[in-house]
Amino acid sequence: MSSKPPKNIFDRAVSGIAWLTLVFLLFPVFLTAVVSFNESFFIEFPPKAFSFKWYLNIANIEAIGRSTLISVSIAFCAALLCTTLAVVASLSISRYVFPGKSLMTAFLLSPITMPMVAVGIALIQFFIMIGTAFTWYSLLIGHMVLVIAYPIRTLLASLTLMNPSLEEAALSMGASKFKAFWTVTLPQLKPGLISGFLFAFLISFDNYPISVFLVRGGLTTMPIEIFNYIAQNLDPTPAAFSTLYVIVVSLIISFAERRYRIVSYSIQ
Amino acid sequence: MMDTLRPASRDLQLQTSFWSRYAGAFFLLTPLLVFLLIFYVVPFVNLLQESFRFSYIDSQSSDGLTLYQYIKTWSSSRIGRVMGRTFRMSLLTVVITLLVSYPIALLMLRLKSKLRTIILLVIFISLASSLIVRNYGWVVVLSDKGALNVFLQFIGLTDEPLRLMFTEVAIVIALVHFSIPFMVLPIYGSLLRQPPSLKEASLSLGGSHWQTFLKITLPLSLPGVFGGTVLTFALSMSAYVTPLMLGSPSSSMISQVAAEQLLTQLNFPFGAAIIVTLTVLTFLVVAIYATVLRRVFRADV
Repeated sequence: MSSKPPKNIFDRAVSGIAWLTLVFLLFPVFLTAVVSFNESFFIEFPPKAFSFKWYLNIANIEAIGRSTLISVSIAFCAALLCTTLAVVASLSISRYVFPGKSLMTAFLLSPITMPMVAVGIALIQFFIMIGTAFTWYSLLIGHMVLVIAYPIRTLLASLTLMNPSLEEAALSMGASKFKAFWTVTLPQLKPGLISGFLFAFLISFDNYPISVFLVRGGLTTMPIEIFNYIAQNLDPTPAAFSTLYVIVVSLIISFAERRYRIVSYSIQ
Repeated sequence: MMDTLRPASRDLQLQTSFWSRYAGAFFLLTPLLVFLLIFYVVPFVNLLQESFRFSYIDSQSSDGLTLYQYIKTWSSSRIGRVMGRTFRMSLLTVVITLLVSYPIALLMLRLKSKLRTIILLVIFISLASSLIVRNYGWVVVLSDKGALNVFLQFIGLTDEPLRLMFTEVAIVIALVHFSIPFMVLPIYGSLLRQPPSLKEASLSLGGSHWQTFLKITLPLSLPGVFGGTVLTFALSMSAYVTPLMLGSPSSSMISQVAAEQLLTQLNFPFGAAIIVTLTVLTFLVVAIYATVLRRVFRADV
């Protein structure tokens, strides 16, 4: 990449389309932010007067606060449990040779490709059958099935990039197997662990199609409440909420990239 | 490569029985496998079984297994129409997403590392921002008094606001918007793995940029293209929230019809049959697609 060829039509066309697509990606987010600061009760363009009132209105909607707490607790537990299960399983897949290994990997990653409505339907029937439907625990299990493949994928990537001679060195110098794993291997897996946890958390936090089957009554999640609010109201409160959401997600991802290089890492 | 070499040498030391040889692997896999067996395999087997039963609203009833729900699914003109629409919209989404995402991957390859990281961050943030939040953004843009209509009227292209919301167009736009990160990342990954010397050789031997792209870069990136297109296709085929937020009954997609059977009609067997049909069809299309790429384009997918 040292000597750049002079710009030609092909490269220019590629850059043109690429930048336009990036604008397309940011366009609705930007306009939502514009609407969220407009004083008017309806979505309107161009905005007339500046106001913070839709942001303050988020606090007035009691259901959003309550459901966000449930969503955070579910997403945190699902991400933590799944990352733990995934560390152990991906160690097995990357360290051992056994018959049917690629089939096993495909099976472990398969929940990603299943239609989410199918997962939701299958689980709610199952939970009704065993008598635990519409509980916090069954919602948690549904979300674990939803997100399990993400930490497996990032951890398998980390494990293939890892330098195994470090752990062997620790073992040959007399460290116990557990100590070598805990002090040498695990720190090397950090980017995979963090991006796996982060994606599991965000995917769970955002889920609608599985949750909608598993919740009832007071047990609701944030996306369900936001969806219902949008369906029943025309005011720009969801715009304020959306803008806050994108800001928080941007901060988390930028921080994780700065500290752990998760973005650069998950590409390799 | 490391991990395929290492265990082999370890296996030489352990020329013992099957179980003691693989015990470690199975021991580590057990917790996850037990979890998936109970909460993933069993519910899906159950769902499959349910789809071969009569429901309480059917005129016939028996405890035996039956193809009734599948015959009902395939003979219903409404489901055929919705299935066809879902397939058409998914295909359109995949093609558009591929055409707009590939240039981003190519651009990132050329840019300096700082700008490249910024683009990657934008893509990751987009991926991580809530689907409902992003769809709401399209409500803001596409509704009758939304940004696009105000703009079109301002420049005088139209007097009446265009009906953009609640149409198939709106759904496809939002599906493309949702799918771009899933397409860019695997393509960029496969571009990174190509040695730049191949492209340079083609250019220095007099190939044009377009020829070099068609003959070198694109064929070598087919595994990434395959990964991205399959994921985009599967996500679009099973899209539920997007058509719910941006569509109308006349643009509904198949997941909605299945969910409606379960959530409002409480007809589990029929809903199960629809969703099983969708899953099988999606897998069939992906399998045919993979075979074509392998046989015709000799791609390593």
